[in-house]
Amino acid sequence: MSLPSSMGLAGPPLSRWRSSTGSWLPALALSLVMLLVWEAVVRFFQVSAFIIPAPTAIAVALMREWASLADAATVTAREILVGFLASAAVGVALALLIVRFGWLGRALYPLVVLFQNVPKVALAPIFILWFGYGLAPKIGLIVVIAFFPVTLSMLAGLESVDPSLLALMRSVGTGATDILFKIRVPHSLPNLMAGLKIAATFSVIGAIVGEFAGASAGLGYVIQFASTQLDTPLVFAGLVIVSILGVGFYYVVEMLERLAVPWAPKFNTG
Amino acid sequence: MHLRAIRSVDEMPARSGAATDLIRAEAVGVALGAAQSRQEILQDISLSVPEGAFVCLIGPSGCGKSTLLKVLAGLISPTSGRVSIAGLEPAEAARRRMVGLVFQDATLLPWKNALDNAALLLGVADKTMSRSALRDRAQQMLTLVGLGEVGHRRPDELSGGMRQRVSIARALALDPAVLLMDEPFGALDAITREVMSRSLLEIWQRTRKTIVLVTHSIDEAIYLSSQVHVLGIAPGRIVQTLDVALPYPRDEAVMERPEFIQLERRLRAALRSSHRPGETP
Repeated sequence: MSLPSSMGLAGPPLSRWRSSTGSWLPALALSLVMLLVWEAVVRFFQVSAFIIPAPTAIAVALMREWASLADAATVTAREILVGFLASAAVGVALALLIVRFGWLGRALYPLVVLFQNVPKVALAPIFILWFGYGLAPKIGLIVVIAFFPVTLSMLAGLESVDPSLLALMRSVGTGATDILFKIRVPHSLPNLMAGLKIAATFSVIGAIVGEFAGASAGLGYVIQFASTQLDTPLVFAGLVIVSILGVGFYYVVEMLERLAVPWAPKFNTG
Repeated sequence: MHLRAIRSVDEMPARSGAATDLIRAEAVGVALGAAQSRQEILQDISLSVPEGAFVCLIGPSGCGKSTLLKVLAGLISPTSGRVSIAGLEPAEAARRRMVGLVFQDATLLPWKNALDNAALLLGVADKTMSRSALRDRAQQMLTLVGLGEVGHRRPDELSGGMRQRVSIARALALDPAVLLMDEPFGALDAITREVMSRSLLEIWQRTRKTIVLVTHSIDEAIYLSSQVHVLGIAPGRIVQTLDVALPYPRDEAVMERPEFIQLERRLRAALRSSHRPGETP
């Protein structure tokens, strides 16, 4: 098994900046400094709030519109969650089908890659046309954006089992289905989790794009509505909530990763 | 002479005469590629391994010694000639759990502990076995290879030598007639290699398995085996067969004996001649 022998000892070079002991203090300090500079620049040059609102103006908008922002966040979070789960299911199913059935894989894989090159954002109006303004078109859009990293990363994991081990398993009469579920699938979990983390961030993008294309609720809808009202502080307030949602979602997936694959090499933020 | 007489199948000795030979290879050839770019990997390999013997295959890189081992294991079908293990096709022998395989990499499953890794092959090969019987058997094998206490550890919590021991336990759990090992200690450091070689001799003497081991270490080959086949390159063929008449049990002290040094010299000379004439290795 070609696992790095240094596993559990020295981490990759990146961990110098990501180690758990380093904590979030430097990041917090840098953010504060940037916010202060931002505030100072806006005040000093008297930039109009509808071009670049100061952080304090954004905070005011956040508090003023808190109730509607929270409602919108609930709608968007539901889209992200359902869309992410659907993407994961579609992505995993495709990877399993491609690996298990060679002929199907040869048929499917080029189509999957081809489809990946379609600009997915352009599909949003079509999905609205087909599925209306509710949850369905957002889920559809998230799935077409986010299934691909799941499929691709899981495929990489499924295919990277040591060929000698596979030969060994087959030589004692292990069938393809047994090899798939006892060896390939567990082996692919670290890759799958990496793919799911990408899918988590893509799901947020998908939800917002879906809401831009046509929605009557959600953070994307609030952002778009606020920008037509030239209420830029509210646009930024919406962005803040979207970011918090995205980061929170990402870390939930990362926690799942740690539970699911404790044996995997750690490249995590700590 | 480097070519043994090619015997056709009907000239083969009667079965009774071959009874003590567990492995027989008759004029085995392996070629890869289509007619035009056909490349001979192995040519006219004939050898027999008596039951309970410890045989080493040694040769320069690219001589096809690993390919030969895969042929014996039934993972590759020879293009010509025939191989039998206890009278069976190698692939059939493997299906009947008569062949244990150990590679240079331990190829353990990183999510399973040492015990479950040792039980892996037996578990898929014999579905009738109860889980507790399977675990008992795996535990016995771990104890045999000196890892009785660390069954609960995952591969990433084991040293390279320990991982390779688990891999040997996994092969032995099948209770195979033959243990085929492809440079099993090739990835280990010198000291670990020595310790592992000695352990392997002990395991061999306790279990009386027939072992065929591929190596490129002259010392390892003489220290371990009762017979060494030297393979030459392009195409791979047996250029010389040396019998190692040193008594077992052996330990590292055997390396100081004049017979050992004599054999070492002969083996080195054979290896040197195994390269293509005029080619600098």
